[in-house]
Amino acid sequence: MKYLSLAYLVALFGFILLPVVTLVIFSFQDGRLPVPPFKGVTFEWYAKILTDRAMMEALGNSLIVALLSSLVALTLGFLAASGLARVVLPGSVLMRGLLIAPMTVSYLIIALGLLQMFNKIGIRPSLLATGIGHVVINLPLCFAILYAAIGEHQKSALKAARDLGAREWQVLWFVAAPMLTPALAAAFFLAFTFSWDEFIIAFLLTRFDVTLPVEIWSMLRSGLSPATNAVGSLVFLVSVIVVVTLELTLFRKGSK
Amino acid sequence: MTADVHIKAVEHRFNSFTALHRVDLQIAAGEFIVLLGPSGCGKTTLLSIIGGFLTPSEGQVLIGGRDMTHVAPKDRPTTTMFQDYALFPHMSLRDNVAFGLRMRGMAKAARNAKALEMLDMVGLADKAARRPHELSGGQRQRVALARALAVEPDVLLLDEPLGALDLKLRRQMQEELKAIQRRVGTTFVHVTHDQEEAMAIADRIVVMNHGRIEHCGTPEEVYLTPKTMFSADFMGETNRIPVSPAAEGVTSPLGPLAIPPAEGMLCLRPESIGFAGEFSLGRATLVEAAFYGSYHRCHFRPVAAPDLLLTAHLPQGEHPRPGAEVELFGRNPVVLSPKAKAAA
Repeated sequence: MKYLSLAYLVALFGFILLPVVTLVIFSFQDGRLPVPPFKGVTFEWYAKILTDRAMMEALGNSLIVALLSSLVALTLGFLAASGLARVVLPGSVLMRGLLIAPMTVSYLIIALGLLQMFNKIGIRPSLLATGIGHVVINLPLCFAILYAAIGEHQKSALKAARDLGAREWQVLWFVAAPMLTPALAAAFFLAFTFSWDEFIIAFLLTRFDVTLPVEIWSMLRSGLSPATNAVGSLVFLVSVIVVVTLELTLFRKGSK
Repeated sequence: MTADVHIKAVEHRFNSFTALHRVDLQIAAGEFIVLLGPSGCGKTTLLSIIGGFLTPSEGQVLIGGRDMTHVAPKDRPTTTMFQDYALFPHMSLRDNVAFGLRMRGMAKAARNAKALEMLDMVGLADKAARRPHELSGGQRQRVALARALAVEPDVLLLDEPLGALDLKLRRQMQEELKAIQRRVGTTFVHVTHDQEEAMAIADRIVVMNHGRIEHCGTPEEVYLTPKTMFSADFMGETNRIPVSPAAEGVTSPLGPLAIPPAEGMLCLRPESIGFAGEFSLGRATLVEAAFYGSYHRCHFRPVAAPDLLLTAHLPQGEHPRPGAEVELFGRNPVVLSPKAKAAA
């Protein structure tokens, strides 16, 4: 039984990690194609990627879009969560439902909807349009995380702050935000990685300036190359760094 | 800083449930008032209305003569000490205590000095740089008190602040609260469901039940001469003997008793029954006795009414023997009509 569960564990991680490991290994392939047999190690493809101007521009665009859209989603989610946690209104349940609703809609539908609406009001496909799209998908996430983090303990501290004479912005800035720092950071980093990886919305809502996933996609159209593996590995590395940072700083602190 | 509080015909409804029925209450400046009652009696609702966290459905709240009914908590001359202390976990004790002053725009040096002074008052000056989670329950409670008093409110509202402490610490904190209230002179309005705590700290006790004030008076008045059956029972144990008026005194199952004529229930505290007193309760047999440290708790069966059982607390020195027949006497008789409802 013990060996069986061990085997299961190995199989599980194998399925999850093997594709990624393969991707990373063949990004060092000393040959034209990222397929077995493995012919030897070279950093040629990384050098090629890092000197590719379009690729580096896309990487910069992705960082900017991810950073700004996550900040906006975080701010809006924080305000919505603290507002709804403060008062009970007749339509509170409905409002919460409405805020979470975009989570249930597929990215493709959201992208199509935004595309049509942006056309109507004259916003051209651009990084701004993509950023707005990413706020749409990440706001429900930020709201849900923050709303869940505001418990009775937080509510009564906010009440105490108001009782001691704090204005509403002071309550949010001096008490709510510091008390919710772990949840705020978790929401921000999750939103950041989702925006960083997102393809469909970025694909439909960008034209000349594109984000990294869109650039990788256009690179794939010209066939397999270890260079795509290299850039994929870089994207993966950024996600790993974010997740590991989160793990080491916030979640460790929370368990103390 | 201190002010009087005047509650005028305040009524509060939550949907269809009426939490307060036209409550009137005058609290003098500098008074230590305890709102006492079982859970759901409306005491916390009343406190929230004074603090501004609830707006009453009807009626007015005047603090220091000014109408505060619709003023937000931050603009009221009141602060609240919450049941769960509600300290800010991310701030040091000094910053917690200085928070209210900071919100009032006091400069950093001045507010820190004031915060240290307040922490010193509650005996925690040496822990000013600590965070709340490093403290014990009693210490957190002191910080909450210092924080609420730092802004020098006219009225301090205390929402069952001692509920989470163990008995010994609670007694100690009761004495400290009382001493601090004497020192600062602020009006304290304290909510509790513990009648011993109420008597230990209050200048006046307001006994509440089902959204009404049953009795409002000094601890002695409320305990010794309760106005309603509810406050008699809530303040402590009572023996109840039905009485009706007679030519001289009253008649009762125990026989005629020499107390002023009245119709209703004679209520006697266990310590008001003994071997000497103002009037005789007739002869009775001791059924059971138990030693409680500061007194003997005894159950007597009256000879005249064997189905009645009287509970008496006798002083330590007296050694009752079960089965002995003695004459009992009563003190401090209170006759209440079971139907009498509080008008106060």
